[in-house]
Amino acid sequence: MVLKYLLVLLSDSSASFCYYPSQKAEIPKGIAVANSHKKDNAFHISDEKPTEIYYNEKQHLISLDHLKKTVVFALKNNLKVNFLYPHFLLDEAYTKVIEEVEHIKIIPFDAKIFNEDAILIIDSKDFPTTLDLENYTHQNFILKLQKKDLKKLDTMILALLAKSARINLVLMDVENYEEKEYAIYEKQLEKITRNLIQYQNQNAIPELNFLTDRIDLNQMNNCQAGIQHLTIAPNGKMYLCPAFYYENPSEDLGEIKNEIFIKNSRLLELNYAPICRICDAYQCKRCVYLNKKLTLEINTPSSQQCITSHIERDASRRILEKLQKMHPDFNPQITIPQLNYRDPFEIVKGNPQKIATLNHP
Amino acid sequence: MIETKEVIIEKTNTWEEGKAKNITFIVTEDCQLQCKYCYLVGKNNLHKMDFETARKSIDYLLQDCNYFSETSVILDFIGGEPFIEIDLIDKICDYFKIRAYETDHPSFNSYRFSFSTNGLLYNDPKVQKFIAKNAAHLSIQITIDGTKEKHNLQRVYPGGKGSYDQVVKNVPLWISQFPNASTKVTIAREDLPFVKDSVIHLWNLGIKEVNINVVFEDVWEPGDDALFEEQLVLLADEIIENKYYENFTCSFFSTQIGLPYKENMNWCGAGKMLAIDHEGNFFPCNRFVNYSLQNREQLLIGDNQKGINQNRLRPFLTLDMFTQSSPECVSCEVATGCAWCQGANYDYADSSTIFQRATYLCLMHKARVRANNYFWNKLEKKLQKTLRTLP
Repeated sequence: MVLKYLLVLLSDSSASFCYYPSQKAEIPKGIAVANSHKKDNAFHISDEKPTEIYYNEKQHLISLDHLKKTVVFALKNNLKVNFLYPHFLLDEAYTKVIEEVEHIKIIPFDAKIFNEDAILIIDSKDFPTTLDLENYTHQNFILKLQKKDLKKLDTMILALLAKSARINLVLMDVENYEEKEYAIYEKQLEKITRNLIQYQNQNAIPELNFLTDRIDLNQMNNCQAGIQHLTIAPNGKMYLCPAFYYENPSEDLGEIKNEIFIKNSRLLELNYAPICRICDAYQCKRCVYLNKKLTLEINTPSSQQCITSHIERDASRRILEKLQKMHPDFNPQITIPQLNYRDPFEIVKGNPQKIATLNHP
Repeated sequence: MIETKEVIIEKTNTWEEGKAKNITFIVTEDCQLQCKYCYLVGKNNLHKMDFETARKSIDYLLQDCNYFSETSVILDFIGGEPFIEIDLIDKICDYFKIRAYETDHPSFNSYRFSFSTNGLLYNDPKVQKFIAKNAAHLSIQITIDGTKEKHNLQRVYPGGKGSYDQVVKNVPLWISQFPNASTKVTIAREDLPFVKDSVIHLWNLGIKEVNINVVFEDVWEPGDDALFEEQLVLLADEIIENKYYENFTCSFFSTQIGLPYKENMNWCGAGKMLAIDHEGNFFPCNRFVNYSLQNREQLLIGDNQKGINQNRLRPFLTLDMFTQSSPECVSCEVATGCAWCQGANYDYADSSTIFQRATYLCLMHKARVRANNYFWNKLEKKLQKTLRTLP
């Protein structure tokens, strides 16, 4: 494990930024939701100050003590921190502790808390209007796309293109994807690719995890939960990622401490994932939560994960070909071969990799 | 040069080995015996399959050509003790034959009904009628553990009385009906002093093939390996001296064990086979059913309503030796033949996974390898013939 950063769930109702479902938590009375759109480099405290500060641990906010311990741990171990925000504002005491460490704020868009350096989470079911987006120019977004909104993906991406430095797409309900959804996704990526190529003539294309990451990669670049990052939950305990906390809070990795023991942690590594280690869909998240949920094994991806990642890989291949045709010096070191399969399981099944090609790290 | 017959010491292949789909019906979780080493820790007389559950399962499997693409099938009936439910089994077998014919399934006329039984009901008229009806398509293995002393140490009735006498009286009938039948022997800690005599005893009963293994559970203690090795060396001497190798086999000795790994294959067939419980739930094998597990929840891969959950099957079909083994096991110089049970691995793993190989049998395996080397070296010397290919 080469820990690089921590994810901190500031509250049980912190917005979900990945495949796990958002938690429903009622905002207690007296807690104001910021609604300012003002552009300001600092983390903006709403003009409409909360009438009451919300930091009662019983109400599922991380305790100040746990937060301080987390920040000290990060400082001692050269770790950055990604703070996952709820929809409501935090007490000044909290923000003061947060500002002590190098960090990124991940904030639900509909909390309407403006921060240029933050990553904003947009849920497709509450996709912002043009007006909502007007002040953004170079923002990092996470777009959580509900299955029912799959056909609107291209219009959503188009709306975000000029506003974004990076868009991370998360296909919600991907576990329910079947041939019909794969076909729509493929079509949507085709449309986005056409738009991107046009857009690229006049503008720098923002990074799109599902389309442009792969054209810059020559090795796996996955989520790395449990290897590069761990999650601190509001109960002060560590988890592989937020999803594991919400799924089963009792399966924690213990208190924040220097010696972290993850049972069978080797299964988080690429070398111990028989399907993934032969795969070159390098942009795939290899989500260990989805793996566990769908295949019961953290090292084994579902067919949905493999197929959607290969649809993305193939769209990236087409983009790369076009860009290299237009600009011969574009990423000459990267090639993405055309494949005759979309699920590497078909290659690995009953045909394990030769021992000589495998090494224990 | 000594003139020899062909050495017949290796295990014979089972019917359509590797080519047939193996489907296990857990018709009951009940048994007349309470064998002390039994891995079925949750045996009970409540869970019995009904015909409707079996019918739905057969209907599902015969129409799922993606999952059941093999052209041959082995329907395996286990319990508990399967022959307790002989009426149900007879009905299931008839239904399978009819539906395989009606659906023109490739496995029609390429099927086997297979049984592992304690043998107590073997001479029961209903069982004998079933055998007569399906004789051309049957494999029946009666478990008899060796000498009376060894057998009765483990294979006992609920009151503690040994079952040897009731089983052994059925052996002649069984051998007359299945002359090439084999038995499966399990060795527990207490049985170690009786290994040699037990194998010889079974051969003397007319059972030519003795498949034998030590229990897969974590029961072994320091010193057991030395005792085990001593017994196997005594057995090797006896086989060679009395030329048992000409007519009998014992799976403890093989030309294929005790070598470094060349292949990255999984040992176990869990997931390629299918087990069905009394509720119509599907499992990778019966070792993943609740009644087999001490520490973990059962692991389902589908049911006869919704079918096979392909995602849950993926780990089993991509599981290889390397991914589940420690570096020490992968580079072990005497690795081949070191057996593992995927269900026991799952049950004993530190986390809920099938990707952690239990290693508590390591010393027992190494003892077996040393005795195996002793056997082959001695036999090769006697026969003046090279029988193995060493690295």
